[in-house]
Amino acid sequence: MASPAQLAGYASDALGYKSYRPDAVVIPADAEELVGFMQGARQLGVPVILRGAGTSLSGGPVAAQGGVIVHTSALKRILEINVEGFWCEVECGVALNDLDAALKPHGVFYPPDPSSGPVCTLGGNVASNAGGAHCFRYGVTSNYVLGVEVILLDGSVHRFGGPAGGRGPWREDWKRFMIGSEGTLGAFTRFWLRLLPLPEKVWTFRATYPDLRSIEAAIHALVAHSSYPAAIEMLDPRGVAMVERSQMACGLPEGSFMLLAEIDGPAVLVDARVEPVAQLLRRAGSKDVVFSDEDTLRQKLWKARKAAGGLLGQLSPDYVVQDAVIPKRALADVLQLVYDEADAAGIRAVNIFHAGDGNLHPNFLFDSRVPGELEKVELISERLMRRVIEVGGTLSGEHGIGNDKAAYMPLVFGPDSMRLQWAVPAAFNPTHQLNPLKVFGHRRFAA
Amino acid sequence: MKAIAPMQAERLFTPFLDAVDGTLCLPARANAADIHALVAAHRLRFPLLIDAAATLREHLDAATHAPASCRFGPYCDNILSVNWRLPCGRIARIGEHVVKTTTGYDWLRFLLHSGSRFGEPVDYVLRLRPDCGFNVVARFDGDGAALRDCVSRLLHSGWMHWWDAVDFIAEGAAASVRVTVHCPAEEAPIFAEQLTGVATKARARLTLKNDPPPSFDGLPDVIIKTTPDRAIGLANELARDAVRCEALAYHGVVHVHLRAGQDLAERAHTLMQPYLGELHALGGDWHSRWLPETPPSVTESRWIETLEHALHGA
Repeated sequence: MASPAQLAGYASDALGYKSYRPDAVVIPADAEELVGFMQGARQLGVPVILRGAGTSLSGGPVAAQGGVIVHTSALKRILEINVEGFWCEVECGVALNDLDAALKPHGVFYPPDPSSGPVCTLGGNVASNAGGAHCFRYGVTSNYVLGVEVILLDGSVHRFGGPAGGRGPWREDWKRFMIGSEGTLGAFTRFWLRLLPLPEKVWTFRATYPDLRSIEAAIHALVAHSSYPAAIEMLDPRGVAMVERSQMACGLPEGSFMLLAEIDGPAVLVDARVEPVAQLLRRAGSKDVVFSDEDTLRQKLWKARKAAGGLLGQLSPDYVVQDAVIPKRALADVLQLVYDEADAAGIRAVNIFHAGDGNLHPNFLFDSRVPGELEKVELISERLMRRVIEVGGTLSGEHGIGNDKAAYMPLVFGPDSMRLQWAVPAAFNPTHQLNPLKVFGHRRFAA
Repeated sequence: MKAIAPMQAERLFTPFLDAVDGTLCLPARANAADIHALVAAHRLRFPLLIDAAATLREHLDAATHAPASCRFGPYCDNILSVNWRLPCGRIARIGEHVVKTTTGYDWLRFLLHSGSRFGEPVDYVLRLRPDCGFNVVARFDGDGAALRDCVSRLLHSGWMHWWDAVDFIAEGAAASVRVTVHCPAEEAPIFAEQLTGVATKARARLTLKNDPPPSFDGLPDVIIKTTPDRAIGLANELARDAVRCEALAYHGVVHVHLRAGQDLAERAHTLMQPYLGELHALGGDWHSRWLPETPPSVTESRWIETLEHALHGA
């Protein structure tokens, strides 16, 4: 594809406000065609950007230095589901929820659950080491990838790992570098993924708190509780207000912090844990703990959390969502910085995040058409990232770095660890032809 | 946006215990007693220890999984970061203090089980888990079919998430299945009832021990990573030439303990030769702490050379 109308759809990812028109888009029919394309692209000397559904929130699968976007949507076969071995083999273009639907009748599931599940592809998930609401107990994508098939820029095809999840015939465990590499090392074609038995029963809890101190106490108590919650989510008062002033209102008290938690397990076990968890939430200061194991009611409890993401887009032409992870003891400190900085700059900030992991998602709402607004958001983001690193946190927990956070990488890596970071693309993609200007801003392709 | 100046020094870890996040930084020479002494008062535990005396470094050189990986995943999912001594002698920080990161390429998982090829660990940051205060250890005995049925029933249900360990243990011609449960004391009867039900349905004999003293299998001489459906068969086959094999059933890992002697490296090598083709085809592997490093393949030599250039501080 090369017409302007066709290319427009590939100019940005879910980050939205940064767009880069690619020179062309190709959709290979299968892995063999992709091998041919990679060889051709190397000879032509054009940047190559791999892209799944384009739901990245970090400016990952975009043509920041021009070039050709490879859309892997045609590689969407689920090749094998091996229930006895707890693994499946899938092509990179399979949508996450399609895999879930295929696994469910077998009584197994693949745990990572980013909110873009209905459309995001497993290729994008592996490339960005995606997470999701239930990663507090179940872990992120890298915990579940047993093997990766990769096409390198020279067209060579390699399998790192496989159904057994080891090194295969290699001395080193190369798949470790591939997972989370954001399309900078090679083109993924297929994966072997680890599966778990489906939990038998789920209880969802929702509680609101009048202040940050009390919800923080609830979070700290939950993470140490023997029920091992699968998810611990939080919506701040600005998020609650946004939901309550919309058609998605669900009766949350104005000015409150909302906590959402989920426990799962065999019915006889998890039912016995319900009251202790409810008491824990009440002891921390909530007067409106509600919980249910009934699907329709559970969906209602999740309503505010799920609606909040969509409402951001209605409220503002643009928004940036950050993805920092912090030690949980620093939660109040870092949230206060978000409020202070955003208020001082006149930028709206809403926090919707994975509290159990300390994985913050402050959303900064702005209008990129208004001169100076983007610069304000960038300044707030830089101050936030500096504070995150000071308290022992990191830049990204599940979205990846892309080009959105590449500028902050010098805050994280010292001279030796930075040299190690650079050595990885130097081994697999030394000219930076694959996804240039991502992860590290200086990764520029020189044809 | 102005470019951020590069850092002049590494942000190395100093030993810490973060009881809220459940993270602990301590030297690579620490052992089970050291960890217990630091975390027990906070009702936390590090469940992946398999030898009472061995250091953390020795654990990671010998194995990639422990029995409790059934519930908590392999070591690489439970070690968050390291201070790593590079071959040039300087120390670099690899990984993060927090439980989740996608910041940069994953050197941590690449290095954790690399022996001494690329340097060595100085300190580890461990992810701890809540200590619920009570253990139940179940032993299932029976014929081969009954034990396989037990393992299948234990793993293929929602209960699987709550077993700390489901291990098939082969000693010569004898075999058993061991299940470890870690829970609050008041939940122990619920688990006991479920285990009893599994034994009845599988026609196996069950022995339950409530809160026995901690016991350790010891570091294995050989570890094998295969698929879960292949692990029990492999443990049975290898047990003929070993003292004991433990198949960590969910992850498809087999720990082999050889008879003590002078020629462990040779015996480990010989033992594994018939299985190499099968393992490689499945994307599996094997390793023995007694064997010298194997040479890399031609293809990966080029990649390793580039990495070594950086690791040596060039």
